[in-house]
Amino acid sequence: MSIMEYNGGCVLSMMGKDCVAIASDLRFGVQGMTVATNYEKVFEIGPQLYVGLPGLATDTESVLQRLKLRVNLYELKEGRRMQPAVLTSMIANMLYERRFGPYFVEPVIAGFDTKKQQPYLASMDLIGCVTATDEFALAGTCGEQMYGMSEALWQPDLNADELFECISQAMMNAFDRDAVSGMGAIVHIIEKDKVTTRRIKTRMD
Amino acid sequence: MALIEPFAGHTPMQAQRFSPYSDNGGTIVAIAGEDFAVIGSDTRLTVGYSINTREQSKLFRLSDKTVLASCGCWCDVLTLTRVLNARLQMYNHEHQKEMNTPAVAQLLSTMLYYKRFFPYYVSNLLAGLDAEGKGAVYHYDPVGHYERNQYYAGGSSSALLQPFLDNQVGKKNMNGVVQEPITRERAVAIVKDAFISAAEREIHTGDAIIINIIDKTGVKEERFALRKD
Amino acid sequence: MAHFGFDRFSAGPLWHNGPAPGGIYNFPGRQVEDSGRFIERSKQPITTGTSVIAFKFDNGVEKGVAIASDMLGSYGSLARFRDCRRLFKVNNQIIIGAGGDYADFQYVQSMIEQKNIDDECLDDGFSMKPKAIYTWLTNVLYNRRSKMDPFWNNFVVAGIQDGEPYLGSIDKLGTAYVDNIIGTGLGMQIGVPLIREAIEKKPAMSKSEAQQLLVHTMEVLFYRDARSFPKYQIGIVTPDGVTISDPLYLDNQKWGFALYKK
Repeated sequence: MSIMEYNGGCVLSMMGKDCVAIASDLRFGVQGMTVATNYEKVFEIGPQLYVGLPGLATDTESVLQRLKLRVNLYELKEGRRMQPAVLTSMIANMLYERRFGPYFVEPVIAGFDTKKQQPYLASMDLIGCVTATDEFALAGTCGEQMYGMSEALWQPDLNADELFECISQAMMNAFDRDAVSGMGAIVHIIEKDKVTTRRIKTRMD
Repeated sequence: MALIEPFAGHTPMQAQRFSPYSDNGGTIVAIAGEDFAVIGSDTRLTVGYSINTREQSKLFRLSDKTVLASCGCWCDVLTLTRVLNARLQMYNHEHQKEMNTPAVAQLLSTMLYYKRFFPYYVSNLLAGLDAEGKGAVYHYDPVGHYERNQYYAGGSSSALLQPFLDNQVGKKNMNGVVQEPITRERAVAIVKDAFISAAEREIHTGDAIIINIIDKTGVKEERFALRKD
Repeated sequence: MAHFGFDRFSAGPLWHNGPAPGGIYNFPGRQVEDSGRFIERSKQPITTGTSVIAFKFDNGVEKGVAIASDMLGSYGSLARFRDCRRLFKVNNQIIIGAGGDYADFQYVQSMIEQKNIDDECLDDGFSMKPKAIYTWLTNVLYNRRSKMDPFWNNFVVAGIQDGEPYLGSIDKLGTAYVDNIIGTGLGMQIGVPLIREAIEKKPAMSKSEAQQLLVHTMEVLFYRDARSFPKYQIGIVTPDGVTISDPLYLDNQKWGFALYKK
């Protein structure tokens, strides 16, 4: 079994019209055994900036802590909030520093670019190869299932409510066909002036 | 056999071990309705990153009310379907009638298990009408485990399509929906949407789809183009 | 091996002393293997041929199948045998092209020649059609792969089936398909795109145009396939019969693109 599947879990993010959504499942497990059902894999980095870190849970925590350090240093030095594109570069750099002994996480970055006044979405592999997109990005153990769902359900210019329905359905039906993801989900909808966070009840098996 | 002399400093060339199996890709989907069944396959046949042909249907018409979809290791598909057709013909001659769908389903399972220790590396879906005239879909693992379902996806894009069918046909994770029988038009539309999505993200699926619609009047065939890249 | 023999759960043999449906048939007169452990099996090809390319043409007046392969028998990376004919006339309506192990090809060739003699002895005026030989080859190759003793070949069957062009391909596993354009090995990756592009530009092709296209494709294949050779043969099957050319040479090679050419 791949180290990327040791703890299970997944993150899905989708772009809408003037909004972007990012969601994760809530399972934390050790191979087949479920240990916790409240383990979020999406973290708030700024008021309108979120990063999803699915993969090996120990590395999720490490990368998050080291990232927070660098973000704090940046914001202290610059005296301004970090933009999503900058965060993406920062994470990519951080991961590439460990090119030959990588952290086993595949980050997904979703946020609102307050300068350009438009949503931002990017994802990368575990050594920091970035793909910025205006469609959807995903990572985790049920990647194939999420690709199938997202490719069928997603369309451009969904509003915040439609986007919530789309991402929730895509995520839930995808992880219901994965043994090591699921146990509920959390969805953040990032808009120009607000962020809405909802928890979704799903089947718990 | 050291026929190929290595250059100095190079490791000797290792003869590749012969593998009797190959993965020739392809995706199959089937949905059962009240009095009909829909079954579809793509038409791309691949080996690795090469496309052998863009015109290979993976549907096999076994009778007026039974269609088999089969993909995986293509040489096994060819052999399995050839032997299955022979067995059905033997049945026809012996009983002077066509075998019904549940019986074909059991026969296929037995034939797959017969090769339990050198299996046919094949994903199978069987669609048709059962003895009562109701739509039926059966799906198999390579060694003969089988189950009757309302819908199923098999082959190289099965992981992409099965959750989509759960959602759109099985109405999973939907609140307050009334489970009413799926219409023929809806079933065909879902199959087309499923394949379009699969062809976007999965390189072993594409070129075109062949859809067979089975009802009491027989089997109707539809063709639909997919992306060719 | 209870799973390949007869037992009370399996269907009876298809004919007396024949195989059960799905069982493996040992041809009469050949030793039946009881144990696989001490039997030498070909796990790698020795003297090999490279690609075969073929396509159908039809301009309303002339129609048929054109097929080509070079004449090199490679021994690993050594260009060892320079006069290996890999196109084989089966009868007046079929050519078979072969790539892969040359010894296996010759063995299969001798089997087909024996089939021809058997057909001739029946004296019923019938001879094999392309689809028959295609199906037969598929079964022979699948049977051998199932014994873990494959014929290490790619076969291309080109012919005229009931007045219409027929073109099929079979690999060493028994993977078989028919198509309008077929290439094996590098021929699939380099040759087929060239032919497809030419056919898209000019769908109705005459016999001589088809021949020219094959010459061009063989030339490009020679430039980029390290196991190829500038001596080759072209076969054409039309409703009028089969022709296989004498060895042709790729003259007028254009090496201008080579950077360090003197």
